[in-house]
Amino acid sequence: MAEQETPRADDELMSAYLDHELDSASSEAFEKMLEDSPEAKEELAELQAMLKLVGSLPEVEAPPDFYDKIARKIRRRKFLEGDLPVFLTLPFQVLSVLVVLTIAVVYTMIHLDHDPAAKLEKDPNAEKVAPEGEAGVEGEAGPRAPIP
Amino acid sequence: MVSDAADPEEREGPADGAGPPPGGEPGELADPEANVDPSTLDPESARRLEQDRRDRRLIRRIKAGDERAFQELVATYQNRIFGLVYRMINNRQEAEDLAQDVFLTVYRAIGTYRGEGRFYTWLYRVASNHCKNRIKYLKGRHFNTRLDVDDHAEAQMPSGQGGALHSLQSQVPGPEQMTEGNRLQRAIQREIAALDEEHRLLIVLRDIEGMTYQDIMRITGLAEGTVKSRLHRARVALKERMRPHLK
Repeated sequence: MAEQETPRADDELMSAYLDHELDSASSEAFEKMLEDSPEAKEELAELQAMLKLVGSLPEVEAPPDFYDKIARKIRRRKFLEGDLPVFLTLPFQVLSVLVVLTIAVVYTMIHLDHDPAAKLEKDPNAEKVAPEGEAGVEGEAGPRAPIP
Repeated sequence: MVSDAADPEEREGPADGAGPPPGGEPGELADPEANVDPSTLDPESARRLEQDRRDRRLIRRIKAGDERAFQELVATYQNRIFGLVYRMINNRQEAEDLAQDVFLTVYRAIGTYRGEGRFYTWLYRVASNHCKNRIKYLKGRHFNTRLDVDDHAEAQMPSGQGGALHSLQSQVPGPEQMTEGNRLQRAIQREIAALDEEHRLLIVLRDIEGMTYQDIMRITGLAEGTVKSRLHRARVALKERMRPHLK
C-alpha cells in the first residue's frame, strides 16, 4: 500500500528534528551537525519561523447549518434512487400516469380537429352538396364516381 | 530514531469509501484495543483511545440505522474536515460543498467499513481523496484557488465572528478589518493553496492539523521515509514562497 520513493536522509532528519520525532541521541547528533553547517542552521531557523506562522492560522469552523445540508442531500439522493417508502412514492407514480394519459387524450383531440380525412368521415355527403362552380371545374375531367 | 512502522491492523476499507472492504463481517466492528486500560496510558493516548471507542460506538449505531448517531458523528468531525478541505481548496463555498460530499460518502460507505483501524484516519483518507479529485476537476475548469474572494481571515473565523457570513459584505473588508495579522493570514493561506497538492496535503495534515507521522502514513498511504522527506520539501517550498513575510 505504501508508496516508495527515494527519501533523502538530510530531509528526513530535518523534518523529524522540527517535529521532535528524533530520540535524544539522534537529536544531539543533528544539533552537532548544525554547529558545523551555518547554512543548515539558517534553513532550520527559517523553517521554524515559517512553521510558527502556519501554526498561527485560526481554526476554520463549518457553517451552523452544515448537518442540515447534508441531511437534505441524503434525502434528495434517496429520492432520486427510489429508495423511499411506497406510501411516499405511490402518489407520485399515480400522478405521473394521470399526466401522461391527459397529455395523450388532449393530443388526440387536437389532432382529430385538424384532420380533414376525419371530417370527411364525419360527414360523407359534404362533397355531394358542394357549390356548382367547383363541380363544373371538376366536371370537365368527367363525372366523379359516387361516394359509397 | 523513533520507529514509526505501519500498524498491520490498519487495513481499512476503501480510501474513497466507494468500493467494498477486503472481506470480513460487515456488522462486526473489531476493537483492537478492547482490553487496554486508559488509566495506564499518557493523557494524549488515553484521549485518543476514548475517542476511538466513542467512534466505534457511533458507527455501530449508524449501521443499525440510527440517524442521530450520524448527526453526532458529523458534529464531531465537521470542523476538522471542513478545515482540511478549506485549506486544500481555498474557497469557502467549494469547501462547504465538498465537505458535505465527504460525509455523504461516509454515510453511504459506512456499511462496508470494517472498523479495524482508527475511524478518523479512514475519514481523512476519504476527505483527502475527495480533495484531490475536486482539485483535478477544478483545474480542468481553470478554477483559480488563488483568487478566492473570501480567503481573508474574516471568512475563516467561527460563525459567531463572521465565519458563516460570506455575503458581499464579507468579501469587501473595511480598512479596520485589514489588519496586519489578517493580511498575513491571507498571504499564508494563499501560499499554501499555491503549493503542489501533495505538498499542500502534508502541510495541512502535519503543520495545521497537527497529526502524527503514523496517522499521515495511514491517510496518504506513503511510507515513513517518504512522508518525512516529502514533508521537508513541502516546507522548504512553502518557506521560499513565504520568504517576504518571514522578515
